[in-house]
Amino acid sequence: MITLIINDKQIEVEEGTKILEAAQRSGIKIPTLCSHKALSPYGACRLCLVEITKGNQTWTASSCTYPAEEGLVIKTHSQRVIKARRILLELLLTRYPDSIEIQKLAKEMGITKLRLKPKDMSCILCGLCVRMCNERMGISAMGFINRGANRMVSPPFGKQSDICHLCGACVSICPTKRITIEDVSGAKRKPIPIPSKFDEELGSRSPIHIFYPQGVPSWPVIDHNSCVHLLKGKCGICEVVCQAKAIDYEQEEKKMDIDVGAVILAPGYDKFEPKIMGEYGYSQYQNVITSLQFERILSASGPYGGHLHRLSDDHEPKKIAWIQCVGSRDMNKGNSYCSSVCCTYAVKEAIIAKEHSAGGLDATIFFMDMRTFGKGFEEYYNRAKDEYGVRFVRSRVAQIKEVEETKNLILRYEDDKENKIKEEEFDMVVLSVGMIPKKGTKELAGRLGIELNEYGFCQTDEFAPVAARKEGIYVAGVFESPKDIPETVMQASGAAARVGGLLASARGTLITKKEYPPEIDVVGQEPRIGVFICHCGINIAGVVDVPSVVEYVKTLPDVIHAENKLYTCSSDTQQTIMERIKEHKLNRVVVAACTPRTHEPLFRNTIRQAGLNPYLFEMANIRDQCSWVHINEPEKATKKAKDLVRMAIAKARLLEPLYPNTIKVNQSALVIGGGLAGMQSALDLSAQGFQVHLVEKETELGGNLRKIQYLLGGGYPKQLLEGLIENVAQSKKINLYLNTFVSKVDGSLGNFTSTLNSGIEIEHGIIIVATGADEYTPTEYLYGRNERVVTQLELEEQLVNPKSKIENRKSVVMIQCIGSREPDRPYCSRICCSEAIKNALKLKEINPKHEVYVLYRDVRTYGFKEEYYRQAREAGVIFIRYKEDEKPEVCTQENGLIVKVKDLLLGQELLIDADLVVLSAGMVANPGNKDLAQLLKVPVNQNGFFLEAHIKLKPIDFATDGIYMAGLAHCPKDVSESISQASGAAGRAATVLSKDELEIEAALSFVVDANCDGCAYCVDPCPYQAITLVEYEKDGVIKKTVKVDEAKCKGCGVCMATCPKKGIYVRHFKPEMLSAMVEAALQPVV
Amino acid sequence: MSNEFEPLILAFCCNWCSYTGADLAGVSRLQYPANIRIIRVMCSGMVHPNLVVDALTKGADGVLICGCHIGDCHYLEGNKKAESRADAINLMLEDFGIEPERFRLEWISASEGPKFAKVMQEMTETIKQLGQSPFRKL
Amino acid sequence: MMAVKIAEEWLATCGGCEVTLLDVGEPLLDLLPKLEFVHIPVIMDHKYYGQTGEREKLEIPEADVGLISGSVRNEENRHIVEEMRKKCKTLITVGACATYGGIPGMNNIFTVDEITKLVYQDTPGTDEAQTPTQEIPALEERVYAVSEVVNVDIKLPGCPTTPELLVSALTCLLEGKEFKLTERSVCDECPTKREKKAVTTIKRPLESVEFTPGQPLSEVRCFMEQGFLCQGPATMSGCGGSEKVPRCIKAYMSCRGCFGPIREGANPMVDMMGALSSIGLNPREIMDRAVTFNRFIGAQGRLRPGMGGR
Repeated sequence: MITLIINDKQIEVEEGTKILEAAQRSGIKIPTLCSHKALSPYGACRLCLVEITKGNQTWTASSCTYPAEEGLVIKTHSQRVIKARRILLELLLTRYPDSIEIQKLAKEMGITKLRLKPKDMSCILCGLCVRMCNERMGISAMGFINRGANRMVSPPFGKQSDICHLCGACVSICPTKRITIEDVSGAKRKPIPIPSKFDEELGSRSPIHIFYPQGVPSWPVIDHNSCVHLLKGKCGICEVVCQAKAIDYEQEEKKMDIDVGAVILAPGYDKFEPKIMGEYGYSQYQNVITSLQFERILSASGPYGGHLHRLSDDHEPKKIAWIQCVGSRDMNKGNSYCSSVCCTYAVKEAIIAKEHSAGGLDATIFFMDMRTFGKGFEEYYNRAKDEYGVRFVRSRVAQIKEVEETKNLILRYEDDKENKIKEEEFDMVVLSVGMIPKKGTKELAGRLGIELNEYGFCQTDEFAPVAARKEGIYVAGVFESPKDIPETVMQASGAAARVGGLLASARGTLITKKEYPPEIDVVGQEPRIGVFICHCGINIAGVVDVPSVVEYVKTLPDVIHAENKLYTCSSDTQQTIMERIKEHKLNRVVVAACTPRTHEPLFRNTIRQAGLNPYLFEMANIRDQCSWVHINEPEKATKKAKDLVRMAIAKARLLEPLYPNTIKVNQSALVIGGGLAGMQSALDLSAQGFQVHLVEKETELGGNLRKIQYLLGGGYPKQLLEGLIENVAQSKKINLYLNTFVSKVDGSLGNFTSTLNSGIEIEHGIIIVATGADEYTPTEYLYGRNERVVTQLELEEQLVNPKSKIENRKSVVMIQCIGSREPDRPYCSRICCSEAIKNALKLKEINPKHEVYVLYRDVRTYGFKEEYYRQAREAGVIFIRYKEDEKPEVCTQENGLIVKVKDLLLGQELLIDADLVVLSAGMVANPGNKDLAQLLKVPVNQNGFFLEAHIKLKPIDFATDGIYMAGLAHCPKDVSESISQASGAAGRAATVLSKDELEIEAALSFVVDANCDGCAYCVDPCPYQAITLVEYEKDGVIKKTVKVDEAKCKGCGVCMATCPKKGIYVRHFKPEMLSAMVEAALQPVV
Repeated sequence: MSNEFEPLILAFCCNWCSYTGADLAGVSRLQYPANIRIIRVMCSGMVHPNLVVDALTKGADGVLICGCHIGDCHYLEGNKKAESRADAINLMLEDFGIEPERFRLEWISASEGPKFAKVMQEMTETIKQLGQSPFRKL
Repeated sequence: MMAVKIAEEWLATCGGCEVTLLDVGEPLLDLLPKLEFVHIPVIMDHKYYGQTGEREKLEIPEADVGLISGSVRNEENRHIVEEMRKKCKTLITVGACATYGGIPGMNNIFTVDEITKLVYQDTPGTDEAQTPTQEIPALEERVYAVSEVVNVDIKLPGCPTTPELLVSALTCLLEGKEFKLTERSVCDECPTKREKKAVTTIKRPLESVEFTPGQPLSEVRCFMEQGFLCQGPATMSGCGGSEKVPRCIKAYMSCRGCFGPIREGANPMVDMMGALSSIGLNPREIMDRAVTFNRFIGAQGRLRPGMGGR
């Protein structure tokens, strides 16, 4: 090691280190334009010159090339150096006055005017590009030519280089942004950007990249197929510049053997590749894109920042068309099934596009049937039409042609209103591509020995929708069938529940508990704060003057210790932090580094290991919210960093130790409703070893399942029903209460007490609501007044009842959407289309000569049910579409009925003689839901179905912890979907029931007894009903206060911001702490 | 440094959306003026009007409350509470003779890094035009 | 024991707080022998410049305890306050005016020019006149609480303050005990029943609270919940005295905030506006919010010219 002195600071470096590097390492900044860590020193710009004294000699030299020697005394900013540097800079600026980089340096040095006439040479001959190409890329596609005033960078012989790789390294390193790839390679060869897969190839990425910006951890990965180092052994720059030394080129994928008891398959899906549909010109016309690409365009973090963008000319499109069923419901070039999600996502994209459009957008969706069957989707579709003015055209677009000059697109289609072929011009076309099985699933299935269906998705049974046809293997998500987010979540929870049942005996056996030292009592101590400020390599220190922040922080009251660290998150720094806590008896720790969202847990753990309560920690975000966003303003960023650290210290002073509360869990469940969903949930819970109380208001189990005779896929629900009832009866874990309802519910997550109408009191940890729904009782079409008008459920009963003489009904007319998609009940009942087709097929099976008509608005046979729609048409079932405002009419006539309907294709009124009219009555919410909702203090939606915590991400949970829903109580769904959700509810419940006690967040609301007098303002605003008003007696007087139920509280602080008297606060975010931060921010840096 | 007026602006950002959006602006290296000081809160509904009024009457040149978009609140509807309180705050700022532009409520989601940068840019420019807070101590 | 010397002064005030002193009732009999009033203009003739005006400077005799009611509105008020501070070992502000500016404090939404113009020129039915400048003390720039002018040892809020509070303060002084006000709100002592706060419209005070005569207050619903703007949640409790029922509530009126903020530095308007908007009330429904919530506490910068609109 060599010791030298730079700016009066003694510095130790390895032999061979250059002076510039030695200075930089100890935080001393020397301006330079031609040095780069990854390249050999060159001494071209001379800006880095320093004054060197050795013995009695003093001279100046460029520090980037001068090696450190023992005993050298260096001055980086002496008078002499500054004078020389100013002249150099002035000359450089004269050479290239427009360079932002040089202007910045000149401004710092106080150079305001040029004495010589400025030139426009641009290239400052720093040689970075030449060295980069030569040393790192090993190509030498360019070099210096000529001498003296004529010296310049050029490819050999002044011609464009054939050996140039088009890697762009020269461009990226040029400090004056002078060089272009064309300068080196010629205009003929253009670099091909590496498309970003996450951005659906709309944007590009570098070979080392972070897959997407929100990812946690946001670690970059090296792409083996494009990394120059891995491919050619060259480059390696990332390894040199990474101060954390985290680059490891040797890393390879590892194969591991893991012993497991069960497997859940969730490989996802691929999008349909629309290239093969030549008529739409995808990949041929720039402005025809896929719906996923359009998602990226709409995304605020996408390639265009959420602005509508047309690929051909970067303009905002004014008229966009969506084409539905691309690759779906298409026997010829795509797949015959329906992808289930495209209608709703197209509606969503159209709405958001309209919201994002600056100058108004004309949005048109071309569709075959609008299949917005999910919960709330029909209402969304209506809003798109009525509020947003999205145009819906029922037509299959035949062809797209591009207008050569404008790159606009002409769509050829048959207009559904005028019944004639039309051509219409659009700026952009979005293809609503369907879902196909993920590449490689076939091989996966082969290896695991599971069955796939005819389309390549996992084969499951109608009564076991989350189980592959092999013991121990379960399935979730689109791999089972195309589905949207909430259904995927339900199924995934269901699969987890089934695995939980299978592996119940092994639960918790692999958990190890971490031990911590006894906690130091800091109560009553004056704050002793330790502050650790991170360089984050150059991420922070490259902009913020970290040493000056450290010096500043040391002047603040209560700061006992402050130091800077290259990486505060490294494991040796954790060691340092622990040592400093002991050494200085620190009782609060502040780290100024990146974001607490990712790193707070790490540091909390560290101080906990040193015996401090983890809540005695605070973070200042000086990277993500300072150095990274103020790259060009180092002084302001440094000032801001000081402010941010001072604010964090202000809060830290007031921090208090907190302890997460625990609540004991009563490991049993209450399931309300003994239909299919209720029984399935109860059985899944009992399989996992939990006690279940199953309450059914009727005298027998089964609910709606009793009324279903057969399924579309051929399954017999009676068998399922008998099996379920049998299993419930056999289970020792299930207490069954028939003819019973719940009359009172008290308590919260982990500890509920419910009273049944029989007077029995039950204690339980969770609740599953599975109260079912009812078939709508029609008032339309003579129902109830003419025995020839029945509902689908009634028809189904007749179809299996030999006494019904159904074979005599030669002509049957089914009318869809009875009681659904109407102003009173705007939702779609989801299953009626499939039910109608199921019964129509049955009628045809009984006698193919039966005439069966289905009068519909949209046929919503989503997913694989599409196949039955096809079969029905093949079997001769006649489908006639009617319009909402031109409803069919049913009249009596001698010996039967007559149905009048306008055929939209022929444009004529049809009269159909009918022996039987079958109404596809929708589903209505259980009228008892409202009362139950009040008992449980949970919401129902405007249609009377229970409202989930989050429509996409939490479709099983209520907003109230510990209460879940399953089956038709949530929304209309079929048998398989009910079973999935019921298992899912059991899975969600198991996350609570599997624990003896639950640890709950420590930073929750806390009532200040000295200040709260029960004015009750906070009670109603609490989103979780966690606050109750209580009365107590004090000195013979009734007093009031509020109580927080910590099992319900989530620490949002709505109460704290409501309270007019500081009577309630959220721990760790006390008003005093926030005020202290405000005051610290307002206090100027001295 | 130049003598141009550099406003001091406080932004209360909810942990789940806006603070994350601010981090994303950083990850994406989106540049915005260095005048913003972020205070992390768990929810925009946690910010007592007192904090905002105090900050503005003690010399902050501007204050923002940033939360999740309506419907996306991590705590169901804390942001709706913030919204109705913001209306009250606006009225009171009038009482204190503070320009309404000095206070702003914004919904910024975790994926809206660009929006975060844009809002902060706009806010800084607005305040620069308004000039120093009448309450700022020199 | 020697009697404690007391000096009492009234500034910009109605005299209600002096009545409170008389209102003390029986305890006054125990107290009086221990007190000696050396200066109390409301009942005792004592001239500032001597009986014949012979002194050059305003003078008040030395006293152990000084009681001041009323706010500082003009220069004379200021001189008196300064003299009181000089001569009294312990200074007590009595009532909302002295403590927070009180009713005169509402002046602070106007500048002095606006006020004199309003009074001498613009009042309908009054002949226009010049603002007098002779023989009367000049108005201060705004209305001050006494504590803004001099240091105050004990502050007794209320409009008027309560006899019990006054006695308790004096007794504490006599017995050498510390006197402290509560830091709780009026709701603490309010017996009314609270069910659900959600209020969407505000009723006018001249409408009557719903109650049945004879019904105990504990069965009457919180007046705010009935739609009457009540400042109880942001107002210091104590007006009910030993009876422990707030005075206005007892009279079926909602609290108007005369006891001032619960604690030093609190801002009742902000607290009330925040709380009311949190329970779903459109803050624009609240008329004249600045003066409503600062009716008794307009000094100390809480009311400023321009507030409440013009």
